[in-house]
Amino acid sequence: MVNGDDNIDESRRKLLQYSAVAGLAGFAGCSTTGNGDGSDTDTDADGQSGGGDGSTETEAQSGGNSDPYTIGMIDSLTGSLSAFGERNQRGKNLALSRVNDVGIDGRQLKIQVEDSESQAQSGVTAAQNLVNQAGVPFVIGAVGTGVTMSVYESVIQDTDVVQLSQSSTGLGPTKFPDLLRVSPSGRSQANALADIIAEDGYDEVAVTYVNNNYGQSLADAFMSRWDGDIAYENSHNQEQASYSNLISQMADSGAEAWVFIAYQQGYSTMVNEMYESGYEAQMYGADSIQGDTVLENTPEGSMDGTKIVTPSAPVENENYQEFASAFQEEYDREPTSWASFAYDCVMVASLSIAAADEFTGAAISNVVRDVTRPEGEEVTSFEQGMQILQDGGGPSDIDYQGVSGPIDLDENGDPRGFLQVLEVQDHSYVGIDFISG
Amino acid sequence: MPPFEFLASPLLGYLANGLVYSSIIVLGGIGLSLVYSIGGFANFAHGDTMTVGAYAAFVTYGVVGAISGGVLGLPVGFFVALLAGIAVAVVVAVLTELVIYKPIDLDSIGLLITSIGVAFVYRAIIRMGFGADFRQYDIPTLRPIEWLIPYGVRITRHDVVIVLSALLLVGGLHVLLQYTDFGRKMRAMADNPDLARVSGIRTGRVKLWTWVIGAGLAGAGGVFLGLYNQLTPRMGFSLLLVVFAAVILGGIGSVYGAMLGGIVIGMVNQFMPALPQLGRLFPIIPRECDLPLVTSQCGIPIGIEYANAVAFLIMVAVLIIRPNGIMGEEN
Repeated sequence: MVNGDDNIDESRRKLLQYSAVAGLAGFAGCSTTGNGDGSDTDTDADGQSGGGDGSTETEAQSGGNSDPYTIGMIDSLTGSLSAFGERNQRGKNLALSRVNDVGIDGRQLKIQVEDSESQAQSGVTAAQNLVNQAGVPFVIGAVGTGVTMSVYESVIQDTDVVQLSQSSTGLGPTKFPDLLRVSPSGRSQANALADIIAEDGYDEVAVTYVNNNYGQSLADAFMSRWDGDIAYENSHNQEQASYSNLISQMADSGAEAWVFIAYQQGYSTMVNEMYESGYEAQMYGADSIQGDTVLENTPEGSMDGTKIVTPSAPVENENYQEFASAFQEEYDREPTSWASFAYDCVMVASLSIAAADEFTGAAISNVVRDVTRPEGEEVTSFEQGMQILQDGGGPSDIDYQGVSGPIDLDENGDPRGFLQVLEVQDHSYVGIDFISG
Repeated sequence: MPPFEFLASPLLGYLANGLVYSSIIVLGGIGLSLVYSIGGFANFAHGDTMTVGAYAAFVTYGVVGAISGGVLGLPVGFFVALLAGIAVAVVVAVLTELVIYKPIDLDSIGLLITSIGVAFVYRAIIRMGFGADFRQYDIPTLRPIEWLIPYGVRITRHDVVIVLSALLLVGGLHVLLQYTDFGRKMRAMADNPDLARVSGIRTGRVKLWTWVIGAGLAGAGGVFLGLYNQLTPRMGFSLLLVVFAAVILGGIGSVYGAMLGGIVIGMVNQFMPALPQLGRLFPIIPRECDLPLVTSQCGIPIGIEYANAVAFLIMVAVLIIRPNGIMGEEN
């Protein structure tokens, strides 16, 4: 509902803007933008100086405008991944207030958040609203890898809008160089997982993975790296009331090491059912099974010894600690990596908007990688980045060091991830090792 | 060595798991079927009514706490919470009937669509109050019952409570429908509302009581679903599709059909692991096979992720033979 209101405000404001700047031509432009698909919008913007997004562009360049820069965000506010969405929103809000304390050349940043309902269909609709109607040049989104890919392939791909995913760790996005993300690819995670299990001396595993792009791709990556036997391998659906049939099968397979590439809710149901059925196994898992809610909803001691490979923030770094304490103050809880990813997305977006020549997708995509990678001064806050730009520096003079890691977007649009190995000890997560991506 | 050890088999384990899962589906299904037969529409908000019951129990349990004593690993406080869950589900459903379904006065398709909207409202309100994270009742999770493990049965005392409660509620409903004056009125109204009205039955009152019973059963189903699994705002809705399958398989509108359908669907779900190894599990089937499309143990090679698909396939097969479901009336 909040989004709906935002939308109305947004379009009302736009409408006023159009009528002031371009009169009737603005109205015409508005309706064209509304009806056209992504590529039409671009042509409009380039071709008609008075209509559609063209007007926004002109104002951005003139510099005398104090309207906020509006970018979009597609998040799982509801649906099966809404727990991740909530975490994203906390990180995003913290970042947004920090960016707006400084301002981007005297203007504020505004993020129009649309709900993907954790589903591809709704994600695509959200993206269409943002790109075709609101005309944003930069979209942060989405959470689930499947949703992120659908958004990119159906809406973003043929436009010059920049898409930066805040939480997708599946393998798919690597195939599309222009689909960027702050969360590291699952391949390094899958490799690390296979190596750890081998090091622990197991030669046989039972694997279950969530029945979607994320689970399938991570399981494939794991199995291609794994040299030992695979005694059992099957997918499972999300949000089932019961996984006891799955647990029985994994137990029947005889494997002592069980690998879970599952989501938190499903995984904690499985752990409960293992406990209630009296099955014991050495568990391994991807980052998606880790979370305080899992600890809260599983019996004490039911997961001890479980090892999880997770993308990790450089927790020893000063900027992370500063972020964590600010987060603690604001929300009275520890930040998660999902909050730090969303935080970094907003930071990267703001720095690229500030560094770009104009507020367009084309201009921003030219600089977005440069502000994150080396050959530039390492900056850990938006303020430092703005300082460099105001002192006459360009995008390559900035190397943003995120609170989620060094970022350093590569040619595939993937970040350089840091991985941490966690072990469950006394029913809490303890970091036992770091692996560099 | 336990007595009757020759009985031990994975099949017994699947049967036990199936019984527990079926109980949950049956509790959801009979309420749905009851409301369909009297209210005249498929209530898509039924799943979310279950969720409402579960969260009401969660809150109540948080307030009253464990209270000492209790049976089968469940404190007395849980049963207080169960009653509260039932009560809140009833109040919410009856209010919805009075404020929305009754005044709106649409045909069954219109009401069906309306109920989808109602489902979204319930879920949104729960999400606003409790967030999207999943949670559990603050009741310790139990280990399996020791003496059953040698037989391949791994269930907890909580599971026993779920099955017993389902039996009790279903039995109570059976007595109500068959042996009471009110039950006769309900059956009369389900058969022919107009005839029931002219013969002096206060159909409005019967309809309201149907909502009370249907929503009460949904509330109880939700509370037990929360005990069986976890509480999430989507818990009831996620189960609803399966519940519908059970109700339609049994014959929509028939309470006994809903019970039967629930058992079939629950059993199919939990017997999925048996399919690829039929030869190993059933002595009548040859142990080794060398046929195309069959595993080496004479089984059907299909993964458990297709449990719902198999259940629906069975539903379609039954509907081809009996278009009104197993217990549905022919007309």
